[in-house]
Amino acid sequence: MKLPHAQLAVLETASADEDRPITEVAEQADLKPEAATRAAFELEDEGLVAVSEETDESVTVTDEGETYADAGLPELRLYKAALEAGAETEPVSLGELLGAAGLDGPAVDIALANFARKGYGDVDSGDVSADADADPATDDERLALERLAAEETGGEDIAASVLDQLESRGLVDRSASTIRYVQLTDDGVTALMGGVEAAETVDQLTPEMLTSGEWEDVEFAEYNVEADAEQFQGGREHILRQTANRVKDVLVGMGFQEMEGPHADAQFWINDCLFMPQDHPARTHWDQFALETPDEIGSLPDDLVENVRSAHKEGVGEDGEGYHSPWTEETASRLDLRGHTTSLSMRYLSGHQVGELEPPQRYFSVEKVYRNDTLDPTHLLEFFQIEGWVMAEDLSVRDLFGTFTEFYEQFGITDLEFKPHYNPYTEPSFELFGTHPETGDIVEVGNSGIFREEVLEPLGVDCDVMAWGLSLERLLMLMYGFEDIRDVHGTLCDLELLRDVEVVY
Amino acid sequence: MPVVDVDPDELRDLTGHEDKDDDQLKTDLFDLGLEFEGWTEDDEMQLEFAPDRLDRLSVEGIARSLRYHYGDDRGVYIPSVNDADWTIAVEGQPEGRPYVTGAIVRGLDLDDAALESLIQLQEKLHATMGRKRSKGAIGIHDLTMLKGSPATDDGRANKSVTYTSVAPAEDSFVPLDSDGEMTPAEVLDQHPTGETYADLVNDFDRYPAIYDDLGLFSFPPVINGRRTEVTTDSRDLFIELTGTDQWTVDHMLNIVLYALSARGGQIERVEVDYDDDAPGEYAGQTLSRPDFAVRSKTVTHDRIETILGVDVDEGTVIDCAERAGLDATAVDDGAAYDVEVPPYRVDVLHPLDVVDDIGRAFGFNDLDPRYPEASTVGGRHERSRLEDAARDALVGLGFEDLLNFHMINAEENFERMGLADPREDGATDAVGAVDPVTIREPYSEDYTMLRTWALPSLLMVLERNTHRAYPQDIAEIGLAAHTDDTENTGVAEHRTVSGALARTDASYENVKGRLQAVADAFGKTLETPPTDHPTFIDGRTAEIVLDGDSVGVLGEVHPKVLVEHDLELPVAAFEFRLDALE
Repeated sequence: MKLPHAQLAVLETASADEDRPITEVAEQADLKPEAATRAAFELEDEGLVAVSEETDESVTVTDEGETYADAGLPELRLYKAALEAGAETEPVSLGELLGAAGLDGPAVDIALANFARKGYGDVDSGDVSADADADPATDDERLALERLAAEETGGEDIAASVLDQLESRGLVDRSASTIRYVQLTDDGVTALMGGVEAAETVDQLTPEMLTSGEWEDVEFAEYNVEADAEQFQGGREHILRQTANRVKDVLVGMGFQEMEGPHADAQFWINDCLFMPQDHPARTHWDQFALETPDEIGSLPDDLVENVRSAHKEGVGEDGEGYHSPWTEETASRLDLRGHTTSLSMRYLSGHQVGELEPPQRYFSVEKVYRNDTLDPTHLLEFFQIEGWVMAEDLSVRDLFGTFTEFYEQFGITDLEFKPHYNPYTEPSFELFGTHPETGDIVEVGNSGIFREEVLEPLGVDCDVMAWGLSLERLLMLMYGFEDIRDVHGTLCDLELLRDVEVVY
Repeated sequence: MPVVDVDPDELRDLTGHEDKDDDQLKTDLFDLGLEFEGWTEDDEMQLEFAPDRLDRLSVEGIARSLRYHYGDDRGVYIPSVNDADWTIAVEGQPEGRPYVTGAIVRGLDLDDAALESLIQLQEKLHATMGRKRSKGAIGIHDLTMLKGSPATDDGRANKSVTYTSVAPAEDSFVPLDSDGEMTPAEVLDQHPTGETYADLVNDFDRYPAIYDDLGLFSFPPVINGRRTEVTTDSRDLFIELTGTDQWTVDHMLNIVLYALSARGGQIERVEVDYDDDAPGEYAGQTLSRPDFAVRSKTVTHDRIETILGVDVDEGTVIDCAERAGLDATAVDDGAAYDVEVPPYRVDVLHPLDVVDDIGRAFGFNDLDPRYPEASTVGGRHERSRLEDAARDALVGLGFEDLLNFHMINAEENFERMGLADPREDGATDAVGAVDPVTIREPYSEDYTMLRTWALPSLLMVLERNTHRAYPQDIAEIGLAAHTDDTENTGVAEHRTVSGALARTDASYENVKGRLQAVADAFGKTLETPPTDHPTFIDGRTAEIVLDGDSVGVLGEVHPKVLVEHDLELPVAAFEFRLDALE
């Protein structure tokens, strides 16, 4: 018979006549106690040993207990001082006694609480009177503590009530432990008599063992496969990037091409092409970051500037009216950090980015925009905008509803509602509301519409274009339930949060 | 978005629907696009709406919209206007504020609520169309306190006031909320309202002024005189507006007049008589105001059907238009409609705006979604694919991918990295040491420019995460920018790849090993000739040369930079341009 080394050692060390504690067996067999225990249970499964157990209570004296065992319990020191001051006949002031007994700090309260409880006297209005009949020599707690501290007893002969009292005073710790015993069974004895060999165990499979064939003769040491392993920190794509990529996947799947373009751009592309009058409060209330250096774009396409100026001043079409607002190319040429990526849509629709576009087309971007807002848990100065548009002949609001219904369903946002809204650049316009997948609340999830002719005609587009925008961070917060976006995006981020966040797919 | 405070009892009164409870009103208002935001201390509803329908900036205007919504009113309504008794003579007015308009409303019986609503409407119009009074400002006066001399010229009405200008200390009057005479200059200097609006006229040599026979009574757009102050006892009002655009002030006037008409006032015309030498585009002309002319937009039936995505009949279109307060007449055998738009609708610029009104009346939300049939092929931009591929490579090497702000300040971008600010000390070859793109009047001193490189952002993240477990191997691929005259925008934007190993064994060798793996993955030949860079330790810094082009820097971060960022372990890092991996 071959047994692993630990089992063999336990088998050889165990007795057929008596229960031996496993700790004793382990020591003798030169095994770790847990290895010996594991081996004993494995032997028991084989029927070679019997394992029995009993519960043992042990009492250990705490540091505080040791101190009192040495210097005396505070209440006894108080009693001694009281007797010496004659408090058995006449009450003595507490202050005087504390000094004599050498008590201060928490020991004072301990002394007072136990003094009265144990009948050594009374404390009344700061005066102490002592009971002359009390006998410190027979104090159970004192005797028990001293004997425990001197290791004259393990606590087994001390009354439970006294141990309870000492434990509640924090002077001793009691703990219960299981002691296991092992004894050879008849089968074990038979096996030993038949001869048992140790199987060779190895910790690590080595290249040499594989090439030499030695692996065939070895037994692998067992691991505690339930033990915690070393923590490993792998790389991980940022969750906002993951979310962005998921959005991109969905949009590509719906036939959208990705746009790309400048972050710092002329107001012309950011606002003027979008038919936002130069004095419109939106151009200030969006609070775009204006650039100081550089402050002006080199050039704008002349024909386009004239078309856009004309749309602003004269309107578009026979019945069209323009705005009654000033319009200058100088203002249009000023550089801003884009407040929305609709500037990219304008560049693409104008034919100045990838050439003239013929319908049908679908384009999108998931890129950063910049707003001069106040930084708070739900607002960042920089955030990602999901921007998408569809160019086709004769688009209706039903097509718009249908496209967005499909898109949001991919993220579990259903029951989309469309609230008529106003944007300077779309008509009709709709705010999108959806049902939050977790909370069931109605939340705003985007803004959309069909671009006005005052936007499209100057760009040379003579079919319909519908568009929508949404903050990626908003989608992320809906999907992950984050409450403070600053933990995620930016240099205030928390690496642990980014490391620990659950994968969403 | 504009918010108006509305007394629900007044709303019930003005709509004639006493039976509607507050909840029903809220639902009806929401259908119109007015969202209930809460109650004021005075138990008024705070209603928020998109800034197109400025005719709804008063309880009277909202009541009018509700009556159309309920079907109580239909089509275009134009209040009656009596003939002119007064003239506004315009001469010598400031060139910076050349336009004026006005009207008279008689027979009002204003209670406190009505007066409050009028003042609110005036303020809200100032804030929106009036562009904080710069483009248009409204002055409302008690007509009985004005004395106008009979005009002598032909064609003028009987009485007149004069819109002109006054030198800053030439004349004086008692302004509202004051007991003493003040010159216009003193108003701007000492009166609280004057101080608020001083910027609007500070550049003027002579200030806008309106006179009657008794003298100066209004200093637009700053403040009226006390003499003509409007109270609940005022029955007849004189309304004037001055501004930088005639259309704007005329239409602000129309909105005010519709509101006062709803309060039972009778509107009376005023002649605006521009002198032959008056600045502005109306010199020598007399304008009869208010201008209640309806505008007409022609919209095709086909366009209505394509926008809605459903077939509708002519009767439905006309019905929807009338319920929106418009009048539609079929023309061209029903192929199109002439739609008349009332003079308070400042938002209608194009026939499409009429289609939107018809759609709202029809009920957009009743339309079934459908997926557009147009078929297109989707795809990612090459740059975004490259960025993702590089990010995958870094993540595979154990880097935690980060996402930091593109905005930063000079201290973080330069000084704390040991780098000289090139605007002060001249540009060098060092990565990051290029002229930054800066922000005008930055809101926060933390964000004053675009970062020129990304390693400062990574060190800021390390600095803020010293309580988190190490190693911290982090990387970012993101935007960096600098000024560049050869770009049309004057800004060179590029994607930069930056990585940092913050760990006890961080060294040049193990950061180079990771960089080598990235280069190999993209089929690039990596060379690392020695260089120096103030962010890194001399002798442990190298240029990143990919396929022969110098594209970045790598090395062990200098202890002075580490200490500056409160880091207590070594950091080795690299940064290079993403397009080098193309």
